Formats: sequence, C-alpha cells, structure tokens
Amino acid sequence: MKLFLREHLPLVFLHIIQLFIILLIYWLDGYRNLLTGLYSIFLGLVLLSGYLMYRYATHKSLYVKLSSPMETLDESIHGGGTAPLSEAVDVLLQAQYGHYQQQLKQAEKSRNDHLAFMNQWVHQMKTPLSVIRLMMEEGNDPRAASILEETDRLEKGFETVLYAARLETFERDFKVEPVNLRALIENVIHENKRLFIVSKVYPDLKVDPGLSVESDAKWLGFMIGQLVTNAIKYSAESHQKVFFTSAVTGSEAYLEVRDYGIGIPLSDRKRIFQPFYTGDNGRQYRESTGMGLYFAQEIANRLGHGIELESEVGEGTLVRITFNSYLT
Amino acid sequence: MHRIMICEDDPKLSDILKTNLEKYGYDTGVVEDFGNVLEFFKSYDPHLVLMDVNLPKFDGFYWCRQIRSVSMCQILFLSARSGEMDQVMALEYGGDDYVTKPFHLEVVMAKIRSQLRRSYGEYATNTEERVVKHSGLVLYPERLELELNGNRSTLTKKESVLLEILLSETPRVVSREVLLEKLWDDQAFVDENTLNVNITRLRKRLQEFGIEDGLDTVRGSGYRLLPVWENRK
Repeated sequence: MKLFLREHLPLVFLHIIQLFIILLIYWLDGYRNLLTGLYSIFLGLVLLSGYLMYRYATHKSLYVKLSSPMETLDESIHGGGTAPLSEAVDVLLQAQYGHYQQQLKQAEKSRNDHLAFMNQWVHQMKTPLSVIRLMMEEGNDPRAASILEETDRLEKGFETVLYAARLETFERDFKVEPVNLRALIENVIHENKRLFIVSKVYPDLKVDPGLSVESDAKWLGFMIGQLVTNAIKYSAESHQKVFFTSAVTGSEAYLEVRDYGIGIPLSDRKRIFQPFYTGDNGRQYRESTGMGLYFAQEIANRLGHGIELESEVGEGTLVRITFNSYLT
Repeated sequence: MHRIMICEDDPKLSDILKTNLEKYGYDTGVVEDFGNVLEFFKSYDPHLVLMDVNLPKFDGFYWCRQIRSVSMCQILFLSARSGEMDQVMALEYGGDDYVTKPFHLEVVMAKIRSQLRRSYGEYATNTEERVVKHSGLVLYPERLELELNGNRSTLTKKESVLLEILLSETPRVVSREVLLEKLWDDQAFVDENTLNVNITRLRKRLQEFGIEDGLDTVRGSGYRLLPVWENRK
C-alpha cells in the first residue's frame, strides 16, 4: 500500500494541478460559479480515486511482492497477478530464476564431480600404500620402521580427506546404534600405535568395558582419533600418558581424553573449534591443519554429543565428550 | 596343500601376497587375464580366493557372483573402499570376509587361516607350525616353548613375542620401538617400564638355559641377542 501511494503521488498531484488550471482558465475567462467549480473538482477526484482503486486492486499482488522481502529463491517465481506490468515482471523474474538455477546446478554438478573424483583418487592411492606397507613388513630393511611411520601419516591424511568429503553428506551416512566405547577406543589406539610409540607417549585406559553409548561407530571413531592425534602430538617426548576415562552421571555418560602436554594458550582457546584455526601451537608443530577439532565438533553436533575443552598452558588439555544416552 | 587364487590387478601387490602365501606353505594361482577370471577359477580349482573389488573390465562383486554360481569355495575380499555399503555388498554377493586396504600381512594371513579352518576343519590346515631357531636355540612361538640341547621350558606370551623377534634378527640390533610395537599387538598397551621388566625376565629365562650375557643392551638404540650358546655345543 505504502509503495502504491508513493508510486502514484505524482499522478495525484498532476491531476489536482490540472483541475485547478482548468478552473483558473474558466475563472480568468469570467466564469464565477464557485459551487459548480468545486463540484467538477470533486468529480475529477472521484474519478481519480476510482482509477487508483482499480489500479490497486489489479496490481495488488505485484505491489505486495515488491514491498515484502523474499524469503527464498522459489518465492520469486510465484504469481504477481494478471495485469500487463505484473506479467512482465513475472517473466523477467522467471528468466532470472532460470539462469540462477542453471548456474547453481552447474556449480553443484562440478562440485559433486570433484568430490567423486577425489574419493576415487584417494581409494586408488590406497593400493600403492598397501604395497609399500607390505614390502616394509616383509623385508629386513633397517629403514622400515621410519617408512612405516610415514605410511601411517599418509593413511591418516587420506582418511581425513575422505571424512571431510563425507561430512557434506552426513545425513545419508550414519547409523546410530549402541557402540561399546572401550572396544572403539582400543581400536583407535591401535590405529595410532606407531605414533604413540615413536612419541614415547602411552595410553592409559580407564573406560568401563560394559559401557555402550548411542552413537555411530565410524564417525565417533574418527572423532576420537582426531583427539588422540592431538593429545599425542602436543605431549610428545613428555613421557606422560594420555588418559581415557569414562564416567556416568544420572542421565549422561562422559568420555574424557586427557593429556599432560603443552596445553593451549588462553588467546587460542576461544577459537580452537574454528576451521583452519591452528593457533600458536599449530604454527610450531608440523602438520597442523587446524581442522581436527573443527571436525570433532561438527561430528559431535551432528550426532548430538556435547564436546568441551579445558586447557592450561604447560598443564595439558582435557577434552570431554558428553553422550546423552547410554547403556551399561 | 591348500590352493589359493589371487585376483588382484596391482602386480606388485599380488606378487607380495604370492610370496608370503608360499612362504606359509600354500599353493598360489595368480589371475593374469581379468576378462576370464571364471575360466581360471575352474581350471585352478582353489580352496580360497583373494578378490580385489576394483578390477579392470568387471568388478570383484561380479566375479564373486560368477564364482558362487559354480562353487561354494571361500572368498575373501580385498578392497580400498572402506564404506560400510561396500562391505555389505561384498557379503551380499557371497563373499565370506573382507579386508580393507592398506592391510597388514598378519591380518590377511590370520583371516585366510581362519576361513580355511572354518571350511576344511581345524586340523585340515597343513601349514607348518612356526619355528624360529638359530644354531640350536629353538623357539616354538605358537606353543610358547623354548628348547636348547634337549632342555625345554615354557615362556609367557610377552617373553615369547620378544624372543621371537630378537632371535630372528640375531645378532642385529632391534630397536625398542619395534619391540614395543610387537608387544602392542597383543591388545595390551605396553609402556617402556613394562618392556624393561619383560627384558629382565627374558634374561633370567635365558640364564636358566645357561645363556649369560646373551641379551645385550645397546645404549640409545635397543637390544640384540648374541648367539653365545653356539660355542658350547
């Protein structure tokens, strides 16, 4: 309505001026009947109002559409009425919508192709990795240990890439079921065996063997894996242990992963869960992508687990995952 | 003699598998022509098939179905795909088990052994018992027994694991990392103190056989077993 009035204000002014000019001409010509003059003005205004009402009635939907902000892209193509102007606007918007859709589809397709290619490539790289590993396992090469350590790192990198790609399609890729926490953690520890040993850090497992939590084994395993890698990396050579502790309160179960490493400075603690955020420690240690904790938090959110972090510089770091449903 | 057919398109990988399987006393047949896997299967008639999923022409699932239509032999999938869907498919199409790349040799061997046991009976496996020996000192890792000049004694699992690797590397140095890794395979996460304790126990055990100072500590790198019992035969 407001837009309509603003739009037609000049027309109203023009109309009124026109009426007065016509009257003025008659006035100057010597015509002196005021009542008839006013009546003709009134008639003119009635006609104008009639036209404006008709105009508003026929273009109402267009004006409503123009003055209310669009919520979604789809709204732009829903009808603006049948008046010529409304139809023209609709045609324009539909054309624009079409072009946008096409571009979106293209972008999506190329992104999906890229993801598919990456997935395939990572899987193909696993065969050479297998070959290297098997060669090293069977030979008596003195460099074997070191090469195996590197293949572990490669494998970890591949795994991270795959999981990052899967995070997009998370909704179709997880299955919540009771997961035995201890068995899962033992598995994760075994995957990081060499890293533990080379870093001279050892795990200490205080997790109730009977505790199962409602979660997705694959994602939770990956998530704990990220925490373990961090814990080892930042407490390497300290000859300390990484502690895994489970606890149960009335309605929740906890898992704590605690290391006694270098800890995280306060300035970094607030932003630690942001993607690509490496902080001070990350700049000093090799291979920090700054993504580990971000992934952990993303996955925790999607699985409905809580995740919090406490840390003191020089004291170490504690990450706590909270599960809101468990079985013992 | 069990026959194992290897269907893997990476030549190096199939070569490594072949060498190791033969070391453990299996007979192997390697598929060369991936268009005629079924013909090869029929002519070789294996007890177990190692099947890669990603093969040229047709994938492993296809060949698995083909083989299943003529035989009930054991099929073990090797694949780089770790998605659950693939594992489900592998088992749906008639596979018996699944190993994801990159795998450890021990894992593949263990799975092969268990599959063969399952289908051909506990004692049907005619693989030799493993024996590690060096000039008269003999270790039977599967029985946890050590023998020298007719004397026998039983070891703990950890002692046996440590001795097996030290004995097979004699007289080379074995690093502490490698020893720790081997001990870890036993589902217990062993730290350095536990390693020290077990090394000490192993020394005592060797002394029972009259082997003094055989287990030598090399500062900064690890341990080695010197064959001091050789001269006293």
